[in-house]
Amino acid sequence: MSAWIATLHQTFIETGYWRQMLLGLQNTVYITLGALCIGVVVGALLAICKFFSEGNRALRPLELFCDLYTTIIRGIPMMVLLLVFFFVIFSGTRNKLGVCILAFGLNSAAYVAEVIRSGINAVDRGQMEAGRSLGMSKIQAMYKIVMPQAIRNILPAIGNELITLVKETSVAGYVGVMDLTKMGERAKSITFDAVNPLLVVALTYLIIVLGLTRLLKMAERRLNRDKR
Amino acid sequence: MISVKKLTKKFDDLVVLNNIDTEIEQGEVICIIGPSGSGKSTFLRCLNMLETPTSGQIIFEGNNLTDPKVDLNLHRQRMGMVFQQFNLFPHMTVLDNLTCAPIMLKKESREKAEQRGIDLLKRIGLADKAKAWPAQLSGGQKQRVAIVRALCMEPDVMLFDEPTSALDPEMVGEVLDVMKNLAKAGMTMVVVTHEMGFAREVSSRVLFLADGIIAEEGKPDQIFREPKTDRLKGFLAKVL
Ligand SMILES: Nc1ncnc2c1ncn2[C@@H]1O[C@H](COP(=O)(O)OP(=O)(O)OP(=O)(O)O)[C@@H](O)[C@H]1O
Ligand SMILES: [Mg+2]
Repeated sequence: MSAWIATLHQTFIETGYWRQMLLGLQNTVYITLGALCIGVVVGALLAICKFFSEGNRALRPLELFCDLYTTIIRGIPMMVLLLVFFFVIFSGTRNKLGVCILAFGLNSAAYVAEVIRSGINAVDRGQMEAGRSLGMSKIQAMYKIVMPQAIRNILPAIGNELITLVKETSVAGYVGVMDLTKMGERAKSITFDAVNPLLVVALTYLIIVLGLTRLLKMAERRLNRDKR
Repeated sequence: MISVKKLTKKFDDLVVLNNIDTEIEQGEVICIIGPSGSGKSTFLRCLNMLETPTSGQIIFEGNNLTDPKVDLNLHRQRMGMVFQQFNLFPHMTVLDNLTCAPIMLKKESREKAEQRGIDLLKRIGLADKAKAWPAQLSGGQKQRVAIVRALCMEPDVMLFDEPTSALDPEMVGEVLDVMKNLAKAGMTMVVVTHEMGFAREVSSRVLFLADGIIAEEGKPDQIFREPKTDRLKGFLAKVL
């Protein structure tokens, strides 16, 4: 045990590498949160466009665009998407972190859009009809009646997307972004300690995921207070 | 009050309503009966344009609702609707269910809307449920609240689509009582129902819908005592 602690001390403290690891963690958090923001905003926009263009002939191109977007993004592995962003769309970019956030964000958007769409579809059609029959416009009924109910389905799913996202960002190192995983790998090659850097990295992800899961449970409980 | 002119509704190739003409006058209580799948719900939902007619016109208080330029939302405020499945808003308390539309659409003050809501709840004996959630109510209570929710918009006509069909038998009476009182108070009502007793007792006119047309219509006595068509005779033999 004490031998292990000594190794830990050697690997992270004596080399000063704990600082690098923290930096890596910071980047992972930046990528995750930035991507989530982009994902939620763009995803919501896609879902709204899809909702209002469905069954409206004039807006058919918009609907097609939304469908195409989700189909393409969901059909390409995140890793490949990231490479395309770095070496095709933004080749030679300086702002690696920015491009990384954009890539993960636009990827998430496709999933968030689906989550929102199915969350809305899960609300009984009668709710919209009841709102409309009272004289509400489609937008009013959406905002006041359907959305508050859809949120209960949507928020937990977005939480799950966040958890997936945290773990997915671990491929960011492939394009030279210094995230937690990449820093762990570097610690490994610099200190010749093959075990502990990866152990620490794995534990850090685990703790983040467990923490998020708990937060999510709490949020869900609050959302369902009046359901009984 | 409502004129239905050459109303036709198709779902793809299925002709559900075939060229229906009828007039609904102020103060009438019309019951619509007919076999399952004969288009009763579709007819009712065309009246407030929840279903868009394939062709024909719905004229409500002089406004042609089938005209794409007409402001449907405005006219729907004066047509209440009650659904088989209640469709209360589960994320709002009973009182909020009643007040949300008047506050949002008529710019009523909250106090005024709540006062009316509570008055109406008192009238149906549910004043103590104002702060309850819909999920805490029995089916009969839900449907009575749904009726009151529609009334809170002070509509000129009320449309009911099988309001008692989803209820346990012991709760049917309380909902029908509310509807009877409404009819007595002079409300114009169009009621799709399987409750022949209600149709007989309360309605001023019965429409028998079959095969996409009004196969027979008349005063309840006439419809139930002296049915003319074989179609209606057969239907009544099954349900009475
Ligand atoms: N949205 C829809 N799309 C396709 N077909 C439909 C739709 N709504 C209704 N129909 C069909 O139209 C016909 C009439 O339906 P409707 O619900 O009006 O009948 P109903 O007389 O109300 O029957 P019930 O007594 O069972 O409620 C049925 O054959 C039904 O399957
Ligand atoms: Mg029906």
